[in-house]
Amino acid sequence: MRLLAVTVSLGAALLVMATAPSYAAGGDAIFKKSCASCHYTDGPAKEKTISDQLAKKGPELFYAGSKFKKDWLAAWLQNPKPIRPMKYNSLSEVNKGDHPKMSAGDAAAVTDFLMGLTSPEVKAGVIKPAESAQAKAIFGKKMPCTGCHEYSVKGEVHGGKSGPSLVGAGKRLNPDWVYAYLANIKVFKPVRDMPDFASVLNPKDLENVAAYIATFE
Amino acid sequence: MSRFVIVTAMALGLALGVVGSAQAADSKQVFDFYCAQCHGVNGDGKGINVTKDFATDPRNFTVTADMEKRSDEDIRGVIKDGGPSISKSPLMPPWGATLSAAEVDGLLAYIRTMCKCKGK
Ligand code: HEC
Ligand code: HEC
Ligand code: HEC
Repeated sequence: MRLLAVTVSLGAALLVMATAPSYAAGGDAIFKKSCASCHYTDGPAKEKTISDQLAKKGPELFYAGSKFKKDWLAAWLQNPKPIRPMKYNSLSEVNKGDHPKMSAGDAAAVTDFLMGLTSPEVKAGVIKPAESAQAKAIFGKKMPCTGCHEYSVKGEVHGGKSGPSLVGAGKRLNPDWVYAYLANIKVFKPVRDMPDFASVLNPKDLENVAAYIATFE
Repeated sequence: MSRFVIVTAMALGLALGVVGSAQAADSKQVFDFYCAQCHGVNGDGKGINVTKDFATDPRNFTVTADMEKRSDEDIRGVIKDGGPSISKSPLMPPWGATLSAAEVDGLLAYIRTMCKCKGK
């Protein structure tokens, strides 16, 4: 009887293992085949020098599940519109928008795989979208954010081109990740052409800015 | 004997030359990666971020008359602490938490080659 119970529960456990994660394993396999040549998914961050960063063919995705909103990710993989105005790692060529496209089915499987890649640096559910006078002044005046990032004012795009566009960032980025990124940038991107602002802005300012970016359309 | 000294001196000179140019190459890479986005690869202030929205033109490092007014200390300071540290535009970012002291020194030397000038 005892043996039977053990056998049954073991069987049930095996069944669960065989059914539930197999979906994710599918996404994992698709990713290895079609995506891993340009993106790495095993953290921590590997880049130590500028040459390391310049050798990358695409952004690192080891914390994708903390960075992106799930709905955005599934939709973008099927219809990838440029995020960076310039080609990745280039200051002269524009982004041609030639990222590989996925079918709805593959995109869903890969989205599940990527959303499982989370970072312990990101505390979930803390930053809520909010506009504040402080954040507006920091983003638009006191700090050089607009010098390198596009943003939209009533549908009109303004700003610099070297960083990822922040137009539509509210739909794309998890505000908790934006805060963690601003507060502890080296964990995510040890080598990048954006300055480390954590010693210039206090945690409250960083929170306000992350909450403000979460309102970007 | 004198022959030996000359050869040694030449070898030493060569070695120093190599070290010197390796450093210059590194500083060019650092400049191209962090600074060229606004100041342009040639240091002329025409980087890709400088669109019509860009309120203050990034300094053109090739203008000797402007750059020779800046002391080495001023230039190191503005790279580390950003434009507002010398009452200039906040569009010049603070790089102190991003760059090492050696990288800042390398950038200073590289900028001095662009302006063909020394600080006062
Ligand atoms: C040829 C190299 C290449 C391949 C293959 C590739 N990507 Fe990308 N990926 C890039 C580049 C370059 C970008 C930046 C695009 C942009 O900014 O518009 C990017 C961006 C992304 C992003 C957004 C990352 C960010 O931080 O902005 C995700 C998610 C992504 N890719 C997933 C995938 C998936 C899933 C696959 C497999 C179907 C894939 N990629 C295949 C090069 C590649
Ligand atoms: C000198 C240019 C520069 C400045 C100034 C700058 N950034 Fe960035 N930013 C970048 C670059 C480049 C990246 C992408 C780095 C990478 O992926 O390697 C980035 C990435 C980001 C991201 C992540 C976007 C994404 O999709 O991955 C956010 C959010 C961000 N910056 C916000 C800010 C804020 C807020 C400020 C002002 C306090 C700021 N940035 C100032 C260049 C800049
Ligand atoms: C986001 C754009 C941007 C980036 C990136 C940038 N700068 Fe600047 N820089 C400026 C602007 C704008 C000015 C002019 C400020 C003014 O005149 O008010 C400036 C001015 C300067 C000055 C001159 C200050 C003076 O005395 O007039 C120096 C030196 C300088 N930058 C060095 C650098 C170095 C080195 C880097 C790379 C580590 C760099 N900058 C990256 C925008 C930028």
